[in-house]
Amino acid sequence: MRQIFTLCPHVVPPNPACRAPRPRGMAGLGAFILSLILAVLPAQAIETTDALGRQVTVATPVRRIVALNSDSLEILRLLKAQDRIVGVYTEIDREPAFWGALTALPKIGGWRTPNLEAIADLAPDLVLTYSRNPGEEFDRKMAALGIPVLRLDFYRLATLENEVKRLGELLGKIDEARAFCDWHASHLALIRNRVAQVSHHPDVYIESYSDLSTVGPASGAHEMCLLAGGRNIAEDTVLPYPKVTPEWVLAQNPEIIVKAAAWSNGYQAGDASGFNARRDAIMKRPVWSTIPAVQNGRVHVMDSAIWTGPRALIGVAWLAHWFYPQRFADVDPNRWHEAYLERFQGIACQGVYTSDLLLKEIR
Amino acid sequence: MNATDTITLAYRRRSNARIWFILATGLVTAVMAILALCVGASGMRLTDVAAALFADSGRDHGIVWMLRMPRIVLACLVGFGLGTAGAVFQAILRNPLASPYTLGVGSGAGFGAVTVIIFFGGMHRWAVAGGAFACAMLSAAVILAVARLRQASTETMILGGIAQMFLFSSLTSLFQYMGTMDQVHEIVFWFFGSLSKAGWPEIALVAVMVGGPLPYLLHRAWDFDLLTAGDESATALGVDVGRLRLHSVTAASLMTAGCICFAGVIGFIGLVAPHITRMIIGGDHRYLLLASGLVGAVVVLLADTLGRTLWSPQVLPIGIVTSFIGVPFFFYLLIKQKKAYW
Repeated sequence: MRQIFTLCPHVVPPNPACRAPRPRGMAGLGAFILSLILAVLPAQAIETTDALGRQVTVATPVRRIVALNSDSLEILRLLKAQDRIVGVYTEIDREPAFWGALTALPKIGGWRTPNLEAIADLAPDLVLTYSRNPGEEFDRKMAALGIPVLRLDFYRLATLENEVKRLGELLGKIDEARAFCDWHASHLALIRNRVAQVSHHPDVYIESYSDLSTVGPASGAHEMCLLAGGRNIAEDTVLPYPKVTPEWVLAQNPEIIVKAAAWSNGYQAGDASGFNARRDAIMKRPVWSTIPAVQNGRVHVMDSAIWTGPRALIGVAWLAHWFYPQRFADVDPNRWHEAYLERFQGIACQGVYTSDLLLKEIR
Repeated sequence: MNATDTITLAYRRRSNARIWFILATGLVTAVMAILALCVGASGMRLTDVAAALFADSGRDHGIVWMLRMPRIVLACLVGFGLGTAGAVFQAILRNPLASPYTLGVGSGAGFGAVTVIIFFGGMHRWAVAGGAFACAMLSAAVILAVARLRQASTETMILGGIAQMFLFSSLTSLFQYMGTMDQVHEIVFWFFGSLSKAGWPEIALVAVMVGGPLPYLLHRAWDFDLLTAGDESATALGVDVGRLRLHSVTAASLMTAGCICFAGVIGFIGLVAPHITRMIIGGDHRYLLLASGLVGAVVVLLADTLGRTLWSPQVLPIGIVTSFIGVPFFFYLLIKQKKAYW
């Protein structure tokens, strides 16, 4: 069914106007005829590519969107398209301060296991979700209802700008998309150019949410570390999130340790105490006092909000700042974050996203 | 030599063989522990390890005493605890499929851990372990209460345990379903089991919970033997079956909860270690309890050592490797066994 839908651009999803009760009177009749014409006339269908490289056809204009995860929701707000969102994932309730009025929108279930009926009930023109979640059958079932599903992964730095542009074109928000992509690209280029000039790349141990689970080359965090000029000590592993022994970390002598903090909700954090506690716990692990990173106080904790996802750039800025304190002394990741939140998200800049610096002596 | 003497001699011989088996398994455990102490990701040489053992401080000393040794000791304790508890559960419930998790203790522990991870942020490992322990004991208490109130049979206890297992699994799945990506990540790793989180204070606690109930269980070994003939026969021979069951389920559950609250749910070993042992030395509980524990310790220790060295630096979760090693060996014994032994 999905194939048929993709191949026939003239198949249009049911127009929500058709669901309204038939109005009475001449004006009502006119409105009814107009809505009939709107429903029958083929809307312009735009073909775009999803994160899996597949062609997806979406009828425009897209007026009703269901966002299945926080990343796509953030990008929709970035494109100033939040007024078109008609349904959101249930977990949005965890971050009321960050999402504001969007939390009041109808919920369509969890980001991995959405309720198809709830989505159908909202009669969206488009559903946005990740490339892998929910599974393949989701597309088929949505296609049967005439609802196109666009799978975009806004959590990968390498593809973020391209995906934002594609979505911007689809929604008629080309200027907004371009403004963000220009800002993003220029800031990323600044980091790239400076990192290109360094000769020594510090060895970094990156710890994911769970203790002693690091990140391999297949992960977004590895990509961030490379961009910021670090050498991931787990670069030779195969798994995306391998568990390692504390002894192995010791033996690698990392110069810097970075950990992603789960459950931190940085936007609502008043101070860095939660991040500092995690940092101190790492530094107190048995025998880790012999690791250069611990000895020099170069252990940092970062909020999951800027750890991969649409704000990975802010995370990369922090990493670069930590890896090369002198070279990036003039770069204040907090200012970048402020610009992003106020200019592109339209919300006040607040919150704490990292542990405090312990660095006594900047190299 | 008369017939009595012959029988006595045969009995002595069998007893001696069993004692030798226990001593040999103990020796294998010790040798494997020494081998495990010598391998690791830091590439220390044997001489370095030996020197570090007797050093007062330094990096090598730390690696040997604070990283490798706790892991090895915990592997032995967990293997021993689960093996012994499995033998006790199989005896009390008179069921070859019984394991330390049959009464829902394992899923109870999992539920407790997940609850702490989801609702209390899972910041501190003691909190997670405490939650796991509390819920594990709670599920054992529920089954015991049912058994005591209704004079329930072993079948009722097992059914109750299985029902409880499904309830706790569903609750765990529900929380997992509600959880964010980072929480799910943490939960998955808890269920894989890990021996690297515990330090000496935690291990001391595990040792108390595994070692504490052991004298009582060994003391009741005769009664477990009598119980194999059936509740009525055991009662006729003077065993207070209800009391025995109450006390030994409590003791074995305590052992199990102590093992899994810091190491996660390591499945299979508690089911199979007693069977492996029984196939080799028979079902006399005076020997079976200790020997099952030692067999469990050997398997878990071997699994952990392989798990952290085979694919280094990536660690294969202990729960997975344990099955990889134990199942083929179990099958081998099962096929080799000439008669139905249970």
